[in-house]
Amino acid sequence: MGTSPSKPLIADPPLVLPRNHRDPIYLDAHATTPVDPRVLEAMIPFFTETFGNSGSSTHSYGWAAQGAVDQAREALAQVIGASAEEIIFTSGATESNNLAIKGVAEAYLEKGRHIITMATEHAAVLNPCKYLESLGWRVTYLPVDSQGLVDIEQLEKAITSDTVLVSVMAANNEIGVLQPLEKIGQVCRDRQVLFHTDAAQAVGKVPLNVDAQNIDLMSITAHKIYGPKGIGALYVRRRPRVNLAPQFHGGGQERGWRSGTLCVPLIVGLAEAVTLGVRLQAEDNQRIAALRDRLWNYLKSENSGLTIHLNGHPTQRLAGNLNVSLAGIKAADLLRQIRSQVALSSGSACSSTAQKLSHVLAALGEPNRQPFANLRFGVGRFNTVDDIDTTARLFLSAVTSQVSSSH
Amino acid sequence: MARSDEGSGKIGKNQGGDAVLNGERRNGQGRNGKFQSSLETGRGVPVSGAGSSGERQLSIYLDHSATTPICAEAIAAINDVFQSQWGNPSSTHRWGERSALALEMARIQVGALIGADPTEIFFTSGGTEADNWALLGVARQHQQPQHLVISSVEHSAIAKTADFLETQGWTVTRLPVDHVGRVSPQDLSAALRPNTALVSIIHGQSEVGTVQPIEALGKIAHAAGVLFHVDAVQTAGRMPIDLRTLPVDLLSLSSHKIYGPQGAGALYVRSGVAISSLLLGGGQESRLRAGTQAVATIAGFGAAAERIAQEMTIETKRLTGLRDRLFVGLATSGALQPTGDPVHRLPHHASFCLALDGWKTLNTPPSGWDLVRQLNSASIAVSSGSACNSGTLSPSPVLLSMGYRETEAIGALRFSLGRSTQMVDIDWTVKVVNQVLKRLGCETAPALVHPARLVNL
Repeated sequence: MGTSPSKPLIADPPLVLPRNHRDPIYLDAHATTPVDPRVLEAMIPFFTETFGNSGSSTHSYGWAAQGAVDQAREALAQVIGASAEEIIFTSGATESNNLAIKGVAEAYLEKGRHIITMATEHAAVLNPCKYLESLGWRVTYLPVDSQGLVDIEQLEKAITSDTVLVSVMAANNEIGVLQPLEKIGQVCRDRQVLFHTDAAQAVGKVPLNVDAQNIDLMSITAHKIYGPKGIGALYVRRRPRVNLAPQFHGGGQERGWRSGTLCVPLIVGLAEAVTLGVRLQAEDNQRIAALRDRLWNYLKSENSGLTIHLNGHPTQRLAGNLNVSLAGIKAADLLRQIRSQVALSSGSACSSTAQKLSHVLAALGEPNRQPFANLRFGVGRFNTVDDIDTTARLFLSAVTSQVSSSH
Repeated sequence: MARSDEGSGKIGKNQGGDAVLNGERRNGQGRNGKFQSSLETGRGVPVSGAGSSGERQLSIYLDHSATTPICAEAIAAINDVFQSQWGNPSSTHRWGERSALALEMARIQVGALIGADPTEIFFTSGGTEADNWALLGVARQHQQPQHLVISSVEHSAIAKTADFLETQGWTVTRLPVDHVGRVSPQDLSAALRPNTALVSIIHGQSEVGTVQPIEALGKIAHAAGVLFHVDAVQTAGRMPIDLRTLPVDLLSLSSHKIYGPQGAGALYVRSGVAISSLLLGGGQESRLRAGTQAVATIAGFGAAAERIAQEMTIETKRLTGLRDRLFVGLATSGALQPTGDPVHRLPHHASFCLALDGWKTLNTPPSGWDLVRQLNSASIAVSSGSACNSGTLSPSPVLLSMGYRETEAIGALRFSLGRSTQMVDIDWTVKVVNQVLKRLGCETAPALVHPARLVNL
């Protein structure tokens, strides 16, 4: 993370979202993101006009829907270096992860019953793995170093003759750490093991190419990249062909791999969101990282009075991610104090009611023991310099009042 | 029957097929670099072919059993989510709370449609996931394979999931149906075994429109202590379903069959019934269904459920009248025979297969595919069998299990009516279908008649 002077020149975002002045500033871009107006614009005709079932092959309403799905599939495939027939639309990354892990495990029963994943994975990877363990599969949970990175040598050692799948996430949802996909993919390719990556947080935000990174399966979601909730995709390699056991049975949509009527407007939204993300990637990342660094500079400055620790790798991380541990602060109290003005999270949204230390921070080891409070800032496409300055001011004054009231 | 407009509700007629957005919005960026975009409500669904003058415009959509256009109320709810309720409903901050509120509102609305408590409604990605979840979720409660009872006229989401369970060692009984597609309660009684874990019966059959006696079937299942699942994707909102009195433990719903968006559905799980999760991950939906909820489409589902519940009584009556008018109009051809139960029937659903007597002079009577293609050319959208497999030319297994011959079954035709359907649409459709039948070589199809004459049929 940069240590640039505290006032970098940061451009305004290209679009400003309509926001009521009473709405809190949104700094939780890992939980979800607002739908980009350009994405909404692409979806609108499919909510209001083109309503057909893409499975209706007998009339023009169905054909129009099918055409929109085909176009979206093509566009999505293209930006990850895949071909259209390698894309399966799902209801989101959770379903994609479930389909990839359980689907591969069940389809490769003959080859073996060993899966390798990582301690810091999302629950949508860990829980399917635990389910498989309960059915007799063996799962290795690779540790990470203190910065959250997986050790390639350990991965190599963990692969055995009955390993069928390695699942390592592209970007972590709590600490934003980016794993070396290309190296992991190479190891998997050399050892003839399938490589799945959960790219829910990464797609559109970091360069992804299934061929260059030797990815066999990749989970994608729309709502982390300014698309709608309830839609995602699973990339499944065709050459060499990866097999899957379907998890939803029925009408045989998605070439039999995922039955269920396709949600045309959301599919259009997914493709638009991801392609837009890729198109704006460089520009967005530069601005978002500058805002994130500005916030970090405020928080770590000496007169903030904070004992603060940055979680995760300082540079190999998502541009908008800032995950910190604060000494002597109660995270819940702090969030409550500023909640009418700033929305942020003390962990992943999916487990935000749980009070215990997250499994991700636990896996990093040391400085995250109690009584450290953990906070996750997620800077996004629509945040402004003003958002950051306001947040820093409110945050630091809340910290001061909490520290002084405890004395 | 008098011309009725009740069913068209608030959906605008949109005669000219106007785009929903005005020019400025259509161009993307608005003024000042600010961007305002929204789904406006109440306009822009070009479904009806009939203007008030009866002049033909656009086309007639008679495939509401495949999917329905999204109603204005649902579009408004979807728009609200995209504008201001886009937070993650699991987030504990204000944006999250606002989104969770939209989600819980939808849970109440969907629950109200079927007489369920909101805590018994679990949102899914659609009817297929709900059906899969019901069967597999109950199955995974058992260490060893058990026995499952379904009917022989289930939707593929149940039939294929049952096939899958068979590969896992389960025993599956597929109850036969009579010539109109109905399951007999006696057959269910006879099929139950000590190890029967679940009975799953479709409520309204999507291809032939037959409605099953779920109350009687549910009582039999419950008397034997067996769980009862109902696929109500076609019936919800079209006939009353009250789970406070019905003996049903699990029930599948889909949003896009009731004028809500695609990409949302629900499984009703009666309080106290244990079911395993299908999607594993975060703790959403009371830890039973992982995955960030599709708040926009779910909110649309809720709004659509509320509207359809409000107008069910009137709309069902209206559609039943139109449906029967279509049956009468097409019966005169001698080329088609109605399929399914004429009495216990979906109110919006008219289905036919070939009546071979009308095609004696042809070696090969036309297939349903030939018929729908001709109708599509005439701007009438109908289906031949269920949408999910209508691309295949094989005869419908549902019709075969009802005792039809292959040559009859291959000519299946389904008309499913909806809110936008008016009497003039039906009369025009009758006229066009008869013309198509004549063109395809049916001797007995009536000569062209003026629609005005049909009014007196």
